[in-house]
Amino acid sequence: MSTEVVNTARAKKQAMGPYGTVGKVLGELDDRLGVAKGGRSFLDKIFPDHWSFMLGEIALYSFVVLLATGIFLTLYYIPSQAIVTYHGAYLPLDGQRVTEAFASSVDLSFAVRAGLLMRQMHHWACDIFVGAIVVHMARVFFTGAFRKPRELNWTIGTTLLILAIVNGFLGYSLPDDLVSGTGIRIAYSIILSIPLVGTYLGFLVFGGNFPGTAIIPRFFMLHVLLVPAIIVGLVTFHLILLVRQKHTQFPGEGRTEKNVVGSPMYPVFMAKTTGFLLIVAGVTALLGAFAQINPIWQFGPYDAARISYAVQPDWYMGFLDGALRVFPAWSFHGFGYTIPLEVTIPAVLFPGLVFNLAFAWPALERKFTKDHAMHHLLDRPSNRPKRTAAGVALLANLLMLFIASSTDVIANFFHLSLNSVLWAMRILVVLSPFIAYPITYKIAKEIQLLKGGGKRKTANVVSRTAEGEYVATPSPVYVDDLHHELAATEVPTFIEPSVDVPTDGGVRTVTR
Amino acid sequence: MSEIHEHRTPVSLHGLTENDPHLQPAARNPQLVERVIAVTFLAGIASVAGFGACYWVDAAPWALGATMGLGLSFLGIGLVAWGKYLMPRGPFVEERHVLANTDDDRNAFAAAIVERGGGVIKRRKVLGGLLGSGLGIFGVVAVFPLLRSLGPLPKGTLFHTDWRAGSFAVDITGRRVQVGDLAIGSILTVFPEGTQDTDRGQAVDQTVLIRVSNESFTTKKGRESWAPNGYVAYSKLCTHLGCPVGLYEQQLQLLVCPCHQSSFDVHNGALPNFGPAPRPLPQLPLYIDADGFLRSQSDYHEPVGPGFWERS
Amino acid sequence: MTLSFKRASALVLVALFAMGPLVLFMSSAHAATKSPFQTTRKNAGTPNSSQVTVDPTTGSITSYGNDAIMYSSPSPALAALGQALYQQNCASCHGNAADGVAADGTSGAYPNLVGLGPATIDFWIESGRMPAANPRSVQAARRVARLNHNQALAVTAWINSLSPSYPGVPSVNLTSGNVADGAALFALNCAACHTIEGSGDALALGTYAPSLRNIPATQVAEAIRTGPGNMPRFTGNLSDYQVRDIVKFVTTKIEHPQNPGGLGLGGLGPVAEGFIGLALGVGLLALVGFWVGERQ
Repeated sequence: MSTEVVNTARAKKQAMGPYGTVGKVLGELDDRLGVAKGGRSFLDKIFPDHWSFMLGEIALYSFVVLLATGIFLTLYYIPSQAIVTYHGAYLPLDGQRVTEAFASSVDLSFAVRAGLLMRQMHHWACDIFVGAIVVHMARVFFTGAFRKPRELNWTIGTTLLILAIVNGFLGYSLPDDLVSGTGIRIAYSIILSIPLVGTYLGFLVFGGNFPGTAIIPRFFMLHVLLVPAIIVGLVTFHLILLVRQKHTQFPGEGRTEKNVVGSPMYPVFMAKTTGFLLIVAGVTALLGAFAQINPIWQFGPYDAARISYAVQPDWYMGFLDGALRVFPAWSFHGFGYTIPLEVTIPAVLFPGLVFNLAFAWPALERKFTKDHAMHHLLDRPSNRPKRTAAGVALLANLLMLFIASSTDVIANFFHLSLNSVLWAMRILVVLSPFIAYPITYKIAKEIQLLKGGGKRKTANVVSRTAEGEYVATPSPVYVDDLHHELAATEVPTFIEPSVDVPTDGGVRTVTR
Repeated sequence: MSEIHEHRTPVSLHGLTENDPHLQPAARNPQLVERVIAVTFLAGIASVAGFGACYWVDAAPWALGATMGLGLSFLGIGLVAWGKYLMPRGPFVEERHVLANTDDDRNAFAAAIVERGGGVIKRRKVLGGLLGSGLGIFGVVAVFPLLRSLGPLPKGTLFHTDWRAGSFAVDITGRRVQVGDLAIGSILTVFPEGTQDTDRGQAVDQTVLIRVSNESFTTKKGRESWAPNGYVAYSKLCTHLGCPVGLYEQQLQLLVCPCHQSSFDVHNGALPNFGPAPRPLPQLPLYIDADGFLRSQSDYHEPVGPGFWERS
Repeated sequence: MTLSFKRASALVLVALFAMGPLVLFMSSAHAATKSPFQTTRKNAGTPNSSQVTVDPTTGSITSYGNDAIMYSSPSPALAALGQALYQQNCASCHGNAADGVAADGTSGAYPNLVGLGPATIDFWIESGRMPAANPRSVQAARRVARLNHNQALAVTAWINSLSPSYPGVPSVNLTSGNVADGAALFALNCAACHTIEGSGDALALGTYAPSLRNIPATQVAEAIRTGPGNMPRFTGNLSDYQVRDIVKFVTTKIEHPQNPGGLGLGGLGPVAEGFIGLALGVGLLALVGFWVGERQ
């Protein structure tokens, strides 16, 4: 052998190292970025298994659908309020004077292949996005996942909810159809109602008196650029914090404040979560295929003198519309000025109060429970009756306001007088938190009293011995049997801790 | 402790042997599961291929959505099942490391900021002040373009409409309204002539014209001459949030706002009698000229539409 | 791997072939849904050539009629039959002379029908609102009519014979109507109560705007011209051409709404959409999440 055979497959493989091309590429990357250690610990990351941890993923993945379909829509939508005579694909509107925004919205639905599907998927994904955020937030709230050290992530999440609602409203407004145009009109009047600066603010936002020609281009910029950019940034930060602080888990045998039990990032969690992304996109596509949403061609173009009855905003704005309906006609006039309390209180102060309460909750709870400990194990909602009751009370109030936003539809459907329905809703909106709180509190207390509340009864395994005798033995308790373990921890009651809670930031011992 | 229990005890990912039960698939019958997943994937492939075909032939939206939705769902379901049933069943455990550093580290961090920075900045307070005021002034100045360029200032425009003494009332097509045009119980949206196809005309000047009788009608004291021949005109902007109050019930003599259902009594100066609207709709004084055309005596006597701060 | 690549690819091919007929079916289904975009624009007529004239002082309508809508009074020959039917079905409330004076001598409780015009009488009977199921209800509801078309015309003929008046029973010439103009007029004049999708909705004090689905053209025109109940009358402010366009829009687009995007969800807008989005969207996905997230 006079020459080294370097080009045989075997030698090549040896030169590449034991992990082939992957190893080579990672080696090159590690030389430059030092990714090996961190990358491995990322792949080894353990995610606890619980269905309620999937709710946030629904929100995340519907946002992915929103981005994808939204990019498609921006290719065809024209953000302009210039008036044109419509001669597009939908002939029943032929010859009407419409804005370019409306004309392009109708035409992207009918003249562009898959345009209608993309528009409907975008809208359904939005409804699902906000809904999933709310449900995810409720899970985080009722299980106490917002507690130290995760207060910052709770704040980011609340901000994301607000941004999602705002961006939903902005996007809903863009087609400039009869229904959404009325929504913009109402938004203008709400801005106008702010004391002292309202009229100036309104004129600056709208570029003059309503409607002007600036609002659609401005909403477009906010909807496709500014707000989504902030959302993407905050979502990224939300996830970085999640990885850095590691996921919370429900208590159970083998699970402590100091560990995480579950499936590894790679490959199990990655397969499941990618599959879930596809399913979320698939369900959105099926909704877009079979359930029509926001048929703007039936509504026709917006025109400040036209109006349709039964105009409602999308569901996530419903509580605001309901608040505007039920609030009495109290306007303040005096000292030469007017404060339209009938608008300012329900549409400006009330949502401000609700969201600020959400922002402040972790701090408030720390203050009242004097619980400054780290928490990685979650609460059963019934073990925190006061927190749970407070959350249900707020949700009950918001639900009543949401229902109040369709007083007319309810009255029509059940053949009731609109006036009596409104009065009933006024009473229910005020009373609902006071009804919901004690009922929830009582139920939570009762569940606590139940012997082994939340525990699944251990099954008996009946087996026959060699002698033919039947013996019943309790089946082994699986470590990851959540239903068994949920009841296990003792937790201090809200406000009056029943066990000593260390205040030095240390880890609380879980007794069982 | 049974064998199953052993297997279900969480272990660390590291140092497991190939045969460790934690690394075995969760499914009891992996072969069967694999086949089911394969069929699911095949259905997914067929559906997404069908999506391509539907797109190619420009099929109906529901066909596009159905093929795409089913395809993605099948692929997703297969992938989840793969992860759930055929991948290592675990459970695995990972230690949670305390993120907080030692007191020494914290103190060193704080000291770096306080001592190093303090030494530099405290000694040069004037410089710090100057830099701070420079940036502060820029911050204030940067707001000016926002205030001055985003839009004009209200400057009292909210107090007036385009109705003047003698303005002809015209319908949306610009046709002047004559005394004979409306029957009793009829309603028409009118504008001051020349504004009917402008944004401002439609948003601000829009007025509902209702004929309630055939003789002069008084809706309120002091408005005896405002409604000749039973023609009553009110601003169409709801005093709650500015929606067009286009909903007229002729027997109840109510104008109702379609947005939040405030109702206004047409016979009684459009006084609100239900709902969140706080003020009556402003009434437009009308007269009928010698040729039988309906015209306005003047502008509205108060600002139209929803409330705002400067409105007295 | 128990599944060979060969078998897998064979299965894929079979599936792709199976998609063929489905695709063809879908594209043909599309042709059916495409119709709203292929109708050609009809001659718009002249919107303001109204032939309706109204008395300048009283505001009552003095003449009607042109090629867009024909208004006709039912033949007086039907009056005798009509009187008999009237006595059986209407007289207990409206009185024997149709003047609103009831059998017990009270007046004012029920409307005087004399001089209302054939369109009004015909509308109330043919829409099933009269004879009223519950005379004391806030608003008479639409029902299956108790009198048939000829009987309704007979009663109309008799009442009109007491004091002949306008408007007559309209018959709308729909072939020349323009849906696009009708849609614009509908949005301006009708949608505030009936909603832009014609679903109807609750109004003040127990009254409501009825749904506009499945209503014959004649009744739509009658309602516009006579203003039944709380509905305003549309007279000189809408020409017969415009009324014809609105009727055409209502009887085509409202009664057969184009829902190329899928199920119309009852034309209820965001209320129904929110329900579907939360229940089917978030709810279904949460159930899927239950499967995804829980361990085996």
